[in-house]
Amino acid sequence: MKRASNFLWFLGSVGVFALLLFGWHLIAQSGMVSRVYLAPPDKAFAAITNGFTGPNGLGSSMWATVQRMLYGWVLASMVGIVLGSIIGISAIARIYLQPMLEFLRPLPASAIVPLAIAFFGLSESMVLFVIAFGSFWPVLLAAVQGVSSVEPRLYEVARALNMSRRETIWKIALPNALPDIFAGMRIGLAVALVLTVVGEFVGGQNGLGLEILRASRQFQAPRMFGGVILLGVIGYSCAVIISNVERYLMRWRASR
Amino acid sequence: MSQSAVATSQAAPEICFDGVDLSLGGLEILKGIDLEIRRGEFICVIGPSGCGKTTMLRLIAGFHRATAGAVMHEGRAVNGPSPDIAIVFQDYGKALLPWRNAADNVALALEAMRVPKSQRADMITGFLGKVGLADHAQKFPSQMSGGMQQRLQIARALAQNPSVLLMDEPFGALDAMTRQTLQDECLNLVENMGTTVFFVTHDIEEAIYLGDRVVTLSPNPGRIADIHTVNLPRPRNQLTTREDPEFLRLRRVLFDFIQGH
Amino acid sequence: MSALLSMRGLLVPALLLLGAEVLVNAADLSSNNIAPPSAAFAALLRIMLDGTLFVSTGQTLLATAMGLAVGGSLGLVAGILLGLSRTASRLMTVSLEFFRPVPAVALIPISMLVFGFGYAMEVAVVAFAAFWPMLIYCKGAIEAVEPQLLEVAQMLRLSYFDTVRKIVLPAALPRIFVALRTATGIALILGVTTEILSNPQGLGFAVMSAQQSLHPDNMIANIFWLGVLGVVVNSGLLWLQSRLFGNAGRPGGGR
Repeated sequence: MKRASNFLWFLGSVGVFALLLFGWHLIAQSGMVSRVYLAPPDKAFAAITNGFTGPNGLGSSMWATVQRMLYGWVLASMVGIVLGSIIGISAIARIYLQPMLEFLRPLPASAIVPLAIAFFGLSESMVLFVIAFGSFWPVLLAAVQGVSSVEPRLYEVARALNMSRRETIWKIALPNALPDIFAGMRIGLAVALVLTVVGEFVGGQNGLGLEILRASRQFQAPRMFGGVILLGVIGYSCAVIISNVERYLMRWRASR
Repeated sequence: MSQSAVATSQAAPEICFDGVDLSLGGLEILKGIDLEIRRGEFICVIGPSGCGKTTMLRLIAGFHRATAGAVMHEGRAVNGPSPDIAIVFQDYGKALLPWRNAADNVALALEAMRVPKSQRADMITGFLGKVGLADHAQKFPSQMSGGMQQRLQIARALAQNPSVLLMDEPFGALDAMTRQTLQDECLNLVENMGTTVFFVTHDIEEAIYLGDRVVTLSPNPGRIADIHTVNLPRPRNQLTTREDPEFLRLRRVLFDFIQGH
Repeated sequence: MSALLSMRGLLVPALLLLGAEVLVNAADLSSNNIAPPSAAFAALLRIMLDGTLFVSTGQTLLATAMGLAVGGSLGLVAGILLGLSRTASRLMTVSLEFFRPVPAVALIPISMLVFGFGYAMEVAVVAFAAFWPMLIYCKGAIEAVEPQLLEVAQMLRLSYFDTVRKIVLPAALPRIFVALRTATGIALILGVTTEILSNPQGLGFAVMSAQQSLHPDNMIANIFWLGVLGVVVNSGLLWLQSRLFGNAGRPGGGR
């Protein structure tokens, strides 16, 4: 009964989406907005599917973007978790480092692009550095927060059991930080996608970002919109995958 | 239980407070505490809030050091937590590891005791069985009721194989029915294992029902007002014990004491 | 803020700067690409004194604020409507899931095609970026209003309009402010990014053109200034939040 009604709601919301697409189609058809900027939806989808896997297709660009994003994100997550845990565990490290981290955190990550160019040139490593730098902060700060916010009662349990410091960190502080770290990694992944596109724009590296930029310069609106849609697909898939992994790993949490 | 307590009464007391003062942050919390607890004895402590009940418990646990005097465990001064002394906290929701299921929460104590992995599974089943959680080994704390979570905490404490069990208002947050059930189960367990219990509560009837002796504390600074021996036969019974004239007499005495503060 | 000014917190950055200074000078890295901190500091003073820093800061802040005003207020209205109506929120699920994950930076080329260089294209990108967090957080803020408060409204037989105006919005306000704070951070990032990538104005462009014209001192000075700007905007909003709502709206607070 509940399932059936949920399904009806889903159908309804697909219907609304179809209406929106139809509205987009009408606007594009009417010529109110120049075809140079606005491709009708069918053309945009055709631009995606035409020779998707071929040499000129969007498939290889999409794959390049996904790979680059994942490399940067994984790198950032590993460094962020390790450093964040150390800072979170050590009150002394927090005193010395936290103010600097607070200063660097609100710095728009893209502002680091010119500096990265100065060091790495317009290269793949420059793009990777920018992605990793940007997605590093959310993970780092989340790990610091998670490791340093252990329920004091749990530390008493550890003391009553005569657990060593190492054991306490490994069995209490780190698992306690897991939900925070995951939240940070989720934000980090979104940031990574944004910076991948930025890096591809600036660095001229093959990928969806460059495709969009090229298409806009050649006034190929369908291909441009196709690229944007694919970026949305990447973002959405990442969000779905990570929230499922999260739900599995954090199944001990009270159902929310 | 009373038999074993008599048999070992000649040896050093399990726990001994010897002229203990405690100040925390310049504030005098406990003053001149003298108390001997026999092996296997069930001691209940009551008193108005802020009288230092929990602080006494934390002194035995080794979380605090006495400012003057000494707290002794089996004839040796307590100078830090020891696995031989287990604690059951009131706030079970905070004292269990939420990311470990019931079996793994018990395992935490065994890991800390360096029990080899191969032996753990059977022991875990045994301890969970003792507290009636054998069928819930795979459940996470978030999937358990308050009573079950507190049973789990008791199982973890028992897994330490402690000689002393410290219980800090362990049933205070539970509903009346669950509380009575757990009281009886708790009595059964410690009687079978011969464990010494230091039980802090704010519930007068609970203190009489469970205890061999009831210690009353008065506040500012916390000191022992009186110690009442509970002359009620064991095993205790939720109906007959609570109707016993001795029970009613003690209840009256303790009630008057609490009212006086 | 007090932690930021603590002496021990300044020690590590000071050492790092000193190290960079020594390293850049000793290794003679000081080229067209990189400059020692002292040169960057001198450049910062220079662009402060000749006013270019403040011109570009003004351009960045203006574009960000306008984008935030447009996107934020649309997001606010949409978030409130979706938060109030479960029907609307259910019907929009698929559409929101489709449009939301699109990274705003991907729209920069499109925006450039439509509007050309200048404020309009930057405002459009910033508005798109600020719209989503505002919508999501405001929707959440409305949905998190205590059901008991709504029951009180029912009991008092308040009209729908009065319920929203007197109960729902005031109760959700602290969280709506958090939404504004998040959206502001994102808006500033997108404004600067747009300038770095294409729009020839503002601090982002100043950083980029300094790099391209081989003035690393100038580039680092502008990046540092962006950091200062980020901290000032962020802590200013935090201050305002605690001033207006105390601890309500902070995680764990206000319950």
